[in-house]
Amino acid sequence: MLAAGAFAGPTASQWKQLRLEPEHVALAGPGASQHFVVTGVDASGNEVDVTGRASVTSSDPESLAVDSARAVLLGKSPGKVQVRVALDGISKRIPVEVRPGSSDLRVSFSRDIASILTQKGCNGSGCHGSPAGQNGFKLSLYGDDLAADHGMILHEHNGRRVNLNTPADSLILKKPTFAIAHGGGHLMTPDSEQYKTILQWLEQGADFDDSGAQLTKLEIYPSRRILVGRGHEQRMAVLGRLSDGSTRDMTSEVRFVSGDETVVETDADGTVRAAGSGLTTVMARAMGKVATASIGVIDARPGEDYPKMATNNFIDDLVFAKLREMNERPAALTTDREFARRVYLDAVGMLPTPEQLRVFLNDSRPDKRARLIDELLESEDYTRHWLVKFEDWFRNNQLHSQGRSMGVFKDWMRGWITDDRPYDELVRRLLTSTGDTMINPAANFWHPSTDFMLKEFSVIKVTPSVTRLFLGVRVECAECHNHPLENFTQDDFYGFAAFFSRVGVKHGYGEYRRTWYLKDEGEVEHPITKNPVAPKFLAGKQPEIPEDTDRREVLADWIVSPENPFFARATVNRVWHEYFQTGIVEPFDDFRSTNAPSNPELLDRLAEHFVENGYRFKPLHRLILNSRTYQLKSEKSGQTPLERMLFASFTPRQLPSEVLLDTIVQTTGVDHVFLARGPLQTYPEGTSAKDIYLPDGPDYFLMTFGTPRRDIIKDRAKSPTLAKSLHMMNGKTLREKIEARDNLVGKLIGAGSSDAEIVAEVYERAYSRPPTEREQETVARFLLDEESAGRGRRRALENFLWAVLNTKEFQLNY
Amino acid sequence: MRIKSRRSTTWSRRDFMKVGSLAFAGLDLPKLLASSGRGSEMSCIVIFQLGGASQLDTFDPKPDAPSDIRSSFKPIPTKVPGTQITELLPRTAKLTDKFAIVRSLHAVEAIHERARQHMFSGTRPRNELLHPSLGSVIANEWGSKNGLPPFVAIPESDLSAEAGFLGPTYDPFVSGDPNAKTFSVRDLTLPSGITLDEAGARTRLLSALDSQFKQIEESPIVQSMDEFYRKAFDLISSPAAKKAFDIGAEPEKLRDKYGRTTVGQGALLARRLIEAGVRLATVFHNRYDTHVRNEPTSKEIIPAFDQAFSALLEDLEERGRLDTTLVLVIGDFGRTPKINFSGGRDHWPRACSIALAGAGIQGGALIGSTDAHASDPIDRPVTVEDVGATMYKALGIDAKKIYMAGDRPVALNKEGEPIEELWS
Repeated sequence: MLAAGAFAGPTASQWKQLRLEPEHVALAGPGASQHFVVTGVDASGNEVDVTGRASVTSSDPESLAVDSARAVLLGKSPGKVQVRVALDGISKRIPVEVRPGSSDLRVSFSRDIASILTQKGCNGSGCHGSPAGQNGFKLSLYGDDLAADHGMILHEHNGRRVNLNTPADSLILKKPTFAIAHGGGHLMTPDSEQYKTILQWLEQGADFDDSGAQLTKLEIYPSRRILVGRGHEQRMAVLGRLSDGSTRDMTSEVRFVSGDETVVETDADGTVRAAGSGLTTVMARAMGKVATASIGVIDARPGEDYPKMATNNFIDDLVFAKLREMNERPAALTTDREFARRVYLDAVGMLPTPEQLRVFLNDSRPDKRARLIDELLESEDYTRHWLVKFEDWFRNNQLHSQGRSMGVFKDWMRGWITDDRPYDELVRRLLTSTGDTMINPAANFWHPSTDFMLKEFSVIKVTPSVTRLFLGVRVECAECHNHPLENFTQDDFYGFAAFFSRVGVKHGYGEYRRTWYLKDEGEVEHPITKNPVAPKFLAGKQPEIPEDTDRREVLADWIVSPENPFFARATVNRVWHEYFQTGIVEPFDDFRSTNAPSNPELLDRLAEHFVENGYRFKPLHRLILNSRTYQLKSEKSGQTPLERMLFASFTPRQLPSEVLLDTIVQTTGVDHVFLARGPLQTYPEGTSAKDIYLPDGPDYFLMTFGTPRRDIIKDRAKSPTLAKSLHMMNGKTLREKIEARDNLVGKLIGAGSSDAEIVAEVYERAYSRPPTEREQETVARFLLDEESAGRGRRRALENFLWAVLNTKEFQLNY
Repeated sequence: MRIKSRRSTTWSRRDFMKVGSLAFAGLDLPKLLASSGRGSEMSCIVIFQLGGASQLDTFDPKPDAPSDIRSSFKPIPTKVPGTQITELLPRTAKLTDKFAIVRSLHAVEAIHERARQHMFSGTRPRNELLHPSLGSVIANEWGSKNGLPPFVAIPESDLSAEAGFLGPTYDPFVSGDPNAKTFSVRDLTLPSGITLDEAGARTRLLSALDSQFKQIEESPIVQSMDEFYRKAFDLISSPAAKKAFDIGAEPEKLRDKYGRTTVGQGALLARRLIEAGVRLATVFHNRYDTHVRNEPTSKEIIPAFDQAFSALLEDLEERGRLDTTLVLVIGDFGRTPKINFSGGRDHWPRACSIALAGAGIQGGALIGSTDAHASDPIDRPVTVEDVGATMYKALGIDAKKIYMAGDRPVALNKEGEPIEELWS
């Protein structure tokens, strides 16, 4: 089980705790069994598998026997028993029940056959569970429509898949045993348990048999573990809880899936093996249920030389604890210059001016970083910068609103950001808004859920928008089929959609002005049953809603209530993602049990902090920006996926389009001309890219560098592209600013500055640092070469400025 | 990172893991992706009628319909007996034996943007998932050839050409208007007054400055930016690229034959580009959205199309390229049968006409028909998804192939069936 010598276990006195899992076992009857796992917690808090070393005994072996070699509890006769687990002088007792049920279980299609189909991958999305099935044999994805699966196996294609007269000749046995060629491969042998189960089911008549206990929950143990050293193994135990209160050993009935096979590999019997360092999730699935365990792999536990890290706030405590657990070291702290450039770009979307930088560098107070952060969060640029992010979140979009009310919506949101008004209130206002979009700006929230030509509001469109934005949950899969990775069904999707079923929209004639209102009636129809669906909270209950109440009010109350597990977590994770480019849950709007947070404690504490601070963003920004975690250097050698996942260093990123354009303007000293609506109209000089109302307008630079159209739910494209490189190298945007007579270079030449002074000034503005000696030499040589090539001084300096703006150092926040 | 589907790709799982960890970093890897391109002998030219052409005024005349419905342009006989199109297409009429017409396309989207995205991808856009355009899929499947961008939009791009979930790496390269007197490709040609020598000098300075920036030199984003800068510089300094886009190198007579219009010169440039190695070139031909003054506008735009399309077919055939080139004429949707009070026709997805040629497609084929007013198909209805499946079949791409949109497996074209009659 455990590779001997992989590490040395602690001695007797060092165990703090001993656990035998699963607990609350209620075996269905004599003959039933349950795999178990024993975990010891050592003095440093490390959790270690001691299943093979601990002594496990039953208080009544006549009722419950223990097979220590296989780590299995065996039911013998009905009774309530104490199981004692002991190791190195520490012990614990847990109760186990053996119920008086029959061990002579009939094979049930819904319980047993379905679980084999899942465990063997037959009903996975790559096989017969795909929407088209495979070679005519189609199963529901992970068994979410067992009646249909039964019909498919028994009756489709004239029942060719089963032979009830000679069950062993059935296609469903001959294919997976490869007695007949099978595209899905050789999946079982005739002496396997699964083969026997299917055979027994065929022999007993192959009925559907939906009666009896249903599986209500799966549990996997251990739920988290760090494996030390490649090849280190851990046996997992899986327990199913049934609707009749009994439990069932599902260890050999589930399908184990590794979230990342480069980190851990899984065997069908539940053995998990360390393959390479990293952190991932192991999932166990059966009959539409899933349980997950977090498994980390490290080469060695942190040793004596692991550095002690200074911390600034609880973010650092939790991030550094996780790093220590995974034996990863955080990067060093940024220099003041690095920090200043980074925090300006991230908090206000601008570069520090040379003057601002000087003031900060000359400040000798120990809390000067915190002071700078406070100052930035109170600036107008902060509002401007976050306003663009709000527009992305709420998809303020010309395509849907035809530009008429975009500005109204933008200006309204600006007020919320400046005053840092509570986000829960904002969300409530959006979700319950009605009225003319020019008069009640919040009603613009509904635009993206409309087809303006069809003049229809779509509950299908609004549902995934709202769940992603406010709950961090992607339910769109469940519009058409049950979610393959989560326990969301079409019932959940349409139940949520039902909160919006009475939203209506009127269009003014001759213009695209719209008025949102509530209809007196209107229901959402279930696509399969065709029945109206009652409103139901996601993964929650069906609220009682009086007829005269706006359903959206009830929904908004639920979404923003502190008891809602999703809202605060989804929101802080979204903000965290803005700063770190990786969410604590990643993708940041894809919370589900099969996509665990990399640091659950951190996510919980941030969410609590957000709630405690009245759902205001500034305290959250302040907390994050002040953390040492945020202020770590970006690593020269790049990040491993694990370092990135655990926030061991800062991730370099391209600047958002608006920020890049504003910083080009800042550096060159030449305004950008933005076209406004109407012929030949432009925005006033000095307008920031963040202030324009038309992200889908004609500005080639902004569109090319990733300003989204916001017509569909889609993250900003952040990757480098050929079009970006070409436009930076050759495009009009840079050319005009570099060639403008009175740009930075022109002004400095006019003021009589020397080449060295000009170079230093450009460096200070573009990079927030002076040039190194080598850089000075490189540039000086270039200017000399340009002169000998016959190009004038001004032209040579323009080419230098071109080069600076094209460097990675300028275009990245690092 | 979850990777599934045995059908999806020829990459090994190991490759996937490598890409996976970098994809996680939000990056595209041009190198790896380019090397995954399997190439093909096929290419594709699309003439996209922006705004949506009227089926009644082009390929589906209804001379017997009432005057407020029928086209003011008379039907004329064509090379294929029994097939009539309108008099605005006299040159095309002589070539109907070289291409197929589908009259029974029945679309569903009535808003331009969504309709175009639907048409160019063959899959209806969803609220949270946009399928890549045909050009983006080809760019991804085949990679680039001779250092040229695989997918080019002429003269400007349109949102329907975007790469959707494939990411902006596969967006089209934009050419600019080849009919403009001072045609130069956007951002490809050095600014006037800057010689290649000077550009080289400042690019060397750029490399020198970049190489002294050591803080994050091995970060994937730095490597990815490097790669794109290298590609950009190669493209700028490549004589082959310059030559491919140099429409001035075409004989004046041929340029005249295509017509001195944006669509004419665009079609010629498209032919030139696919010869040079571009995989798919699309010409966006504008001004079909004739809500007002349908008749006078049609008189301006449709003859320009007629000249461009007919010249393209003949040119491709003369050069022996028609068999390996799929030519498509598609648009947003059809237009309302009834002429409105402004003398215009409005959006009408329920019946549209499209044309297809090359790639082994049977010339002269006439697929489907519409009712007396060209308002709905009455025979052999074809969906936009079917058109998508047809495009993929013509180009030898498995339309049922599963792509990963993040974690989500999606078929390129889930519901369509190719119009098999086109090949029989």
